[in-house]
Amino acid sequence: MKGLISGIKRMEIHDGDGLRTTVFFKGCPLKCIWCHNPESIDFSKQLAYFQEKCIGCESCVSACKEKSPFALNPPFPDCSFCLDCVNACPTNALIAYGKEYTLDELLSAVLQDEPFFKNGNGGVTLSGGECLAQPKFAVAFAKRLSEKGISVYVDTCGYVKQDVFTEILPFIDTFLYDVKAFDNDLHTRLTGKGNRLILENLSYLSRQNARIEIRYPLIQGVNSDETEKIAAYLSTLCGITKVKVLQYHAFAASRYQALGMKNTLPDVKTTFDDVERAVQGFKKHGLPAVNGINE
Amino acid sequence: MNREALANFVFNNGAIENESSVFEKDCENIAYLLDHCEITISQNDRFFVKTNVKRLQAEVLHKRYAALIKEIKTVEIQNGERTRAYTGIFDFGHTSPIWQNVLNLGIVGLRNELMQRAKNGTSEKQKRFYAGCVRIYDAALRFLARVSEFALNAGKTEMAEGLHNLCKRAPSNLFEALQTIIVFYNLQHDFECTNLRTLGRLDGLLYPHYTATEKTFAAKMLQDFINEIDRLEAPSNIPFAIGGTDEHGNTLVNPLSYELLDLYANAETTNTKLHILCDQTTPEDLVKQAFRCIRLGKNSIVFISNDTAIKGLKALGAAHNDATNYHVVGCYECGAQGEVTCSCNARVNVPKALEIVLNSGVDTYTGISLAENIPGSFASFDELYAVFEKVLLTFTKRAIFATDRWEEKYPLLHASPFFSSTYPSAMEKGGDIYCDYAAKYNNSSINAIGLATAVDSLVAIQKLVYIDKKYTLAQLKKILQNDWENEEILRLTVKNNYPKYGMGDPTVDELAKRIVERLARYVNGRKNVKGGVWRLGTFSIDWRWNFGEHTHATANGRKAGETLSQNTSATFGADKEGATAHLLSVSAFSHALTPNGSVADIDLHVSALQGENGINAMYSTLKTYFERGGLAVHYNVLDTEVLKKAKERPSAYPNLQVRLCGWNVLFSSLNEKEKDEFIARSLEKENV
Repeated sequence: MKGLISGIKRMEIHDGDGLRTTVFFKGCPLKCIWCHNPESIDFSKQLAYFQEKCIGCESCVSACKEKSPFALNPPFPDCSFCLDCVNACPTNALIAYGKEYTLDELLSAVLQDEPFFKNGNGGVTLSGGECLAQPKFAVAFAKRLSEKGISVYVDTCGYVKQDVFTEILPFIDTFLYDVKAFDNDLHTRLTGKGNRLILENLSYLSRQNARIEIRYPLIQGVNSDETEKIAAYLSTLCGITKVKVLQYHAFAASRYQALGMKNTLPDVKTTFDDVERAVQGFKKHGLPAVNGINE
Repeated sequence: MNREALANFVFNNGAIENESSVFEKDCENIAYLLDHCEITISQNDRFFVKTNVKRLQAEVLHKRYAALIKEIKTVEIQNGERTRAYTGIFDFGHTSPIWQNVLNLGIVGLRNELMQRAKNGTSEKQKRFYAGCVRIYDAALRFLARVSEFALNAGKTEMAEGLHNLCKRAPSNLFEALQTIIVFYNLQHDFECTNLRTLGRLDGLLYPHYTATEKTFAAKMLQDFINEIDRLEAPSNIPFAIGGTDEHGNTLVNPLSYELLDLYANAETTNTKLHILCDQTTPEDLVKQAFRCIRLGKNSIVFISNDTAIKGLKALGAAHNDATNYHVVGCYECGAQGEVTCSCNARVNVPKALEIVLNSGVDTYTGISLAENIPGSFASFDELYAVFEKVLLTFTKRAIFATDRWEEKYPLLHASPFFSSTYPSAMEKGGDIYCDYAAKYNNSSINAIGLATAVDSLVAIQKLVYIDKKYTLAQLKKILQNDWENEEILRLTVKNNYPKYGMGDPTVDELAKRIVERLARYVNGRKNVKGGVWRLGTFSIDWRWNFGEHTHATANGRKAGETLSQNTSATFGADKEGATAHLLSVSAFSHALTPNGSVADIDLHVSALQGENGINAMYSTLKTYFERGGLAVHYNVLDTEVLKKAKERPSAYPNLQVRLCGWNVLFSSLNEKEKDEFIARSLEKENV
């Protein structure tokens, strides 16, 4: 059994409590227009070409087994992902997203920072993409970590079968659960999928007494009118340890371009004050809301 | 008397005559300066005045040094200096007086003890020492009386009254204790010119007086003290310390530790440095308060591990109590109580040893031959490494030899009556710390410079020539001799894609361990000419620039003349796996093996450390690093202004991390628009 991973980030402080290592699973059932991890949307391996870093040496062309006329125009449809071009690039202008890991390999990678976890009340966070969209691997991985006494968090969009939550629940300390919009039509327009399953799963986790930290990405003028409705809904649930309002930014633009993907990032700004207003909106409903900019 | 007239006297009087005269001449000079210096006072001065004697005795030392150069500097020593392969010199610049004695006895108490001991002095040397010390203390008391009167006339009654009291007795309150510290700093650092590089563990030293003072009053006084220290214009900052443990391992943190940290956080100081001495007994909230302080941009805080410092000093032969009561001078250098911490004696250029191996024993820039019988080729990496190690040890031996030559001449160079009189060993022996080697521990130091540059270069050679076999060693030598000319793709590949020290790669880190352990075996505990031992360090501070300018291209992708790696840290940009990986690499070996000092420099952006979780993460990195045997960590948390500079000059900030997309990335990896946006967002956050 192997998992497809788009990246691993160490010393992460924004994906749960303490000092954590975050594993970004590749592939997501949603297509959020503001997605800041575009390399984690597709379920297959991808090559990205960062033109700004390229010095035009054509080492990649020479290294390519097929000696293909490397036009450097992503998404490289005929690529066999031998990665010779990536390894030959002297400036890291070519990056491969999507590496297959066995459970042992991934464990070995994330446990490098184990000494830091215990001193920082940290652990490992499964993120993405949607980590639970590779359910067997994610559950097995979480189980192995849990058996080692490592704290495991899951960062999820919630758009997965409820059975997956049932299976992984015993191994998870906290779910970082995205709620992006309450209105089903708006949710569909913004993410490509409706939110019924997402909200059902959230209610399910709540009933199972799971620890849940809600993540609300605030994109001013896009989903900012949803705050009140989301807050009203969340106030009916148990187990919400925190509601974190995340400030939208458009820093991922270069990666959309590098991956040859259409840039769907909304051209809007979300300010500190916008986030603060949303935080107050949640607090009015008695929810433990925090400004993600401060955390 | 004006500075020129003072200089004329001390220069004429200070010329070398013979070994027995240096101590007397220096005492005469110091007394003369005390009696004749000009005094100025500024509105801000609360505790003490300024004089016009700065560096005069240091220039006397320099003239004596110049007169001895020809005799001391053999061709071998000169070759080391010209090529920056190895250097060795005296060090009168990294000292800590024994502050407990200064504060317990005061100026007048130290003088009285000298008088008492003078009665028992039997040998000529002892008589000379006690008489000379009494002479300068008498002059110091006359000087303090003169300053007191001057202060009174200037309307500084508090200062005047304090000094008047200090002429009669030991300090008896917080103001007088702080005044004594500044007075003694002036006496030792400015008049005697034995550079004083720490004010000691202020929380412990001042606590009895602090508890007897009304809190608001005490806080204002301490704030004024920090500001006045800041205005002393000392070279490379004036450190002070808080924390530590007693000989039984109990924490010495007290309420004043918190107060000093809080004051330091709010002080407008650029010339002071804070050492926090920690271990598992140090309260977590104190360390976290320090991290909040660092996050605000107070980057001059260095954490020191009690356990590693004490272990390293004991391994050098320090008694348990002396090791426990260690001091930290300068940047990261720990010395046992009673040790004269000559922490900046000798230096050895680690990458230069590799350059010499790859260039048939000859320095590329100067053509000077630095090693004989270097083979032209090596059948394996291990063979190459063995020769590298041999050359490195040869350089080390020569650096030690150069320092020995100078340290043999201490009696002809510099006397330190004020400094010495605080050391019980000097008082009992009746001898000067330098002229008579009267410290309890007379140790010497050597620092290995450019560790990461050398490790990364060895790894690159191993991979290119012996594993991947893409180049022969002869080809690689040629490429380096030509400073990577027409080989930019290869250079960038090595620089950006090859394994590096600082990425937490155990195979690479093993090489760093191997080098440090071998040097430690050679250096630590080796007898020096002063009756003490040698101690190894791995800090390179700003020497890395100068040594880098004289070091030709290295196999890690570094071009000729570029800086060598900083301290014990990764080469710039090599810590791309983040701070935890970096710290795992740096702690791949025990830093008790580098008792002269070592440090991990961790650069982070403030946005990567937001909230309480950011503080928890920093705490975790520190605790883990110290558990793994690290000695010192210096965190740099950078701000918007730095981001702007990093945008203008990306090459100067290759490892600056910022938070992006929920994780930290290298700022240099962003495109221009993203950098602008990040700066704007950072500004907005600042303005909230």
